[in-house]
Amino acid sequence: MQTIEVLKQAISSLDPTQQQQLLVAGSAVAVGGLLTCYYWVYQGTKAKRIPIGGGWWGAGEKPQSEDEKVFPFQVQTSDEEIQDLYDRIDRTRYTEPLEDAGFQYGFNSTYLKKVVSHWRHQFNWKKQIAILNKYPQFKTNIEGLDVHFIHVRPPHREGQRVLPLMLVHGWPGSVYEFYRILPLLTDSLDSLAFEVICPSIPGYGFSEAPRKQGFNSLAAARVFHKLMERLGFSEYYLQGGDWGSLITTNMAQMKPECVKGLHLNMLTSKLRGFGVLFSILIGRYVPWLVGFTREDVRRLFGSVGFMERNIYEIIRETGYLHIQGTKPDSAGCGLNDSPVGLAAYILEKFSTWTDFNNRDLEDGGLERKFTLDDLLTNIMIYWTTGSIVSSMRFYKENLKTNIDNRLDNNTGVYVPTGLAAFPNELMHVPQSWARDRFRNIYSYSYMPRGGHFAAFEEPQLLADDLLQFVKKVEKL
Amino acid sequence: MFTEVLLALVVGGVIYFLVQRSKRHQLKSEDGWWGEGTPMDGEEDLSIRPYTVRTDDEELEDLYRRIDQTRSFPSLEDSQFTYGFNSHYLQKVVTYWRHDFDWRRQVEKLNKFPHYKTNIEGIDVHYVHVRPKNVPEGVTAVPLLMVHGWPGSFYEFYRMIPLLTEPSNPDDIVFEVVCPSIPGYGFSEAPHKKGFDSVCAARVFHKLMKRLGFQQFYAHGGDWGWIVTTNMAQLEPKIIKGLHLNFAPPSKPGLPVVLSIMLGRSFPKLFGFNEHDIQRIYPVVQNLVVESVKESGYMHIQATKPDTVGRGLNDSPVGLAAYILEKFSTWTDHDFRNLDDGGLTRKFSLDDLLTNVMIYWTSGCIISSMRFYKENFSKGLDQPHSKMPVHVPTGFACFPNELMHTPKLWVQQKYRELKTFTPMARGGHFAAMEEPELMAQDIQNFTKMQEKRK
Repeated sequence: MQTIEVLKQAISSLDPTQQQQLLVAGSAVAVGGLLTCYYWVYQGTKAKRIPIGGGWWGAGEKPQSEDEKVFPFQVQTSDEEIQDLYDRIDRTRYTEPLEDAGFQYGFNSTYLKKVVSHWRHQFNWKKQIAILNKYPQFKTNIEGLDVHFIHVRPPHREGQRVLPLMLVHGWPGSVYEFYRILPLLTDSLDSLAFEVICPSIPGYGFSEAPRKQGFNSLAAARVFHKLMERLGFSEYYLQGGDWGSLITTNMAQMKPECVKGLHLNMLTSKLRGFGVLFSILIGRYVPWLVGFTREDVRRLFGSVGFMERNIYEIIRETGYLHIQGTKPDSAGCGLNDSPVGLAAYILEKFSTWTDFNNRDLEDGGLERKFTLDDLLTNIMIYWTTGSIVSSMRFYKENLKTNIDNRLDNNTGVYVPTGLAAFPNELMHVPQSWARDRFRNIYSYSYMPRGGHFAAFEEPQLLADDLLQFVKKVEKL
Repeated sequence: MFTEVLLALVVGGVIYFLVQRSKRHQLKSEDGWWGEGTPMDGEEDLSIRPYTVRTDDEELEDLYRRIDQTRSFPSLEDSQFTYGFNSHYLQKVVTYWRHDFDWRRQVEKLNKFPHYKTNIEGIDVHYVHVRPKNVPEGVTAVPLLMVHGWPGSFYEFYRMIPLLTEPSNPDDIVFEVVCPSIPGYGFSEAPHKKGFDSVCAARVFHKLMKRLGFQQFYAHGGDWGWIVTTNMAQLEPKIIKGLHLNFAPPSKPGLPVVLSIMLGRSFPKLFGFNEHDIQRIYPVVQNLVVESVKESGYMHIQATKPDTVGRGLNDSPVGLAAYILEKFSTWTDHDFRNLDDGGLTRKFSLDDLLTNVMIYWTSGCIISSMRFYKENFSKGLDQPHSKMPVHVPTGFACFPNELMHTPKLWVQQKYRELKTFTPMARGGHFAAMEEPELMAQDIQNFTKMQEKRK
């Protein structure tokens, strides 16, 4: 009571201007205080994890008990399989490309003939299988699906610390993308090495395809957590690109207590929200104001401008995403009969997503960063397992409900995160945008070269970045 | 003095502006050359050669072998046609194709109308030319050009042709019909150079009709045929006596279209909307945006990477059939997506559907047919012809299950001389093949009205 009286007297003793100033200052403090309270409350209640859920994806009804055994697996082939492939290749009905078209209309048929000739006469599938089998492989049944994975333990070295790591591939890749990086992670003389698990996403390669609708990245995340649990791991690191990036992110959101660190080489941005749009408008002129580095500006705007580099290029390159996200069975049906069709469809991505400029080249620049043997081995995984249709369905399962509204898209990621930004990745996401979702970024690296298939194309760069990130998390 | 000069200038300016606007812009087009390499010097080959569709044992054996070696993949449980062509039903179609479909008999059927080929701008253009047998005394048959679309062919018009060239009603007009194949489709040679878009096709077809001796003619089209015939009307409005369409999505939604979308539900009469219009347009986001996105994946990939997406389809007859027949299911009625058999045989016979697929298979034209999308869309949607209105008398047949519904107001924005607008009783995108009687009747009505005006 008394304090109010004192206050009243103090205020009335001020002259009008001073009273006004006091009013303004007081309102500002009040509003600021309210906003802070609201923000604090909002942040506090904003979910820090997503529900784990459950599922059953095998044919028919779910049985009473689940089979938890882990079986060793070896990739095999037969003369029959190889002869059937050759018969089909020999019966390919080519169409001449348009004159001077390069790779602008898709995979150039003239160059395709060269690739196919190598496939038919030089590529040795049996030799490649021996390479595939040099790492121990297994299968185990989770939620009704036989999940295939590679498990590599590093040789014992004195004083070397070993940490568990899962690498997840994407489309149109496979576990084979990691074969060049695996030795760098498991067989190094560094103080730190990894025990690596590389699963095949269900519906890809040697993992069984779901029979029921709805198998999206959240389901894959849960299945992979169960896999690690079954193998006896309680804490592990995750690395992924393409679909692997989304799946590992979901894993970090589902069970953050199991994920020691998350390393990604591909990000997407919603390109929404006031902050992002504002930064697009003025970021080129005052980058420091919106948290852009010079490198960000160079990669986002380039010499052609934001719209061209990001919007138009994305439209030009996402036809496959559109058709696979709506009619996967129609899109994939023919590819399962025609090995050359399958090769053209998949290898077009290895050309264009490594460098957009490859579209103007007659040979799509394919052999600049990859060997034909490596590329064809990846194709053979899709061909021999007949998994192209199920691999495409993953797009529809993830895109059929508006992905923007999905819970995981509106939930943050709080585990230690490392981001490797490769210059020729499909879309550049600056750290200031990534922070919207990834709340605990330990490292953000501008890689000097490389595109979408980073692990396949620049394994040393990726391994180095992963290692420095893990060391930061482990405080080494 | 000063004010008079100023006033004169202003009035002059206004008149000039108005005259400029009302001046009918004509679409311009330059000659092209689409053959291999560079054109040879010398006379252009203007000959018209009769053509017969043929097949042989080798072709059939190769087809059967490929069908037998199909590696099918089961559809997800309970997915019907929502993920694309359902594998269980595909198996039934393929069994029929392998054991019951008689391609030789279908080839005979194809040959019952005379076919020809002629070389225009460096490529062989194929067409069917049907002259009516019984033309009444003192009457000349009315020439009519019919252009197909994707994934169709000239074969879509086969049931309609007799209704037009030999109408049962003596009061009906007797037509002389020309059905060409768009270059890159069916038996027409595919262009070897980049840039062959709808305006080029329109110019080529004008040359064809001129070569056949027609000074004036009517034109009908749906799907790509719509744009090609519209371009023909824009290139030479005096030659096209009348334009009949069953598909005309607005290329540039102007103010009237936008306003009608915003206010049409509350004030239908103001925009001439009937109940069917309301049903097809609203809710707007669901019907105009979501449905389009769901169904335009093929368009997106064909407009960007045609050589990639068509590659496998040229080796796998079953893959080709699944890709093409999915459209004959979904574009006939969207609800067919929820049926196990895609409702395919409700409106079409398997023989007719497979004949169309065989035209794509035997000619190996799937890739070149897809390139047409890239040629037309890659320069952007803002082409000169899409901004230009059409001043040729037009008739529009509005089928209830067409892919994109266009009420009268929308069609009128581009087609400034819309003479008939007929809401049809039933039918979808492939109207000529699905409802030939209804379509033929509407063409008759429209043409009669035009001919009487003379």
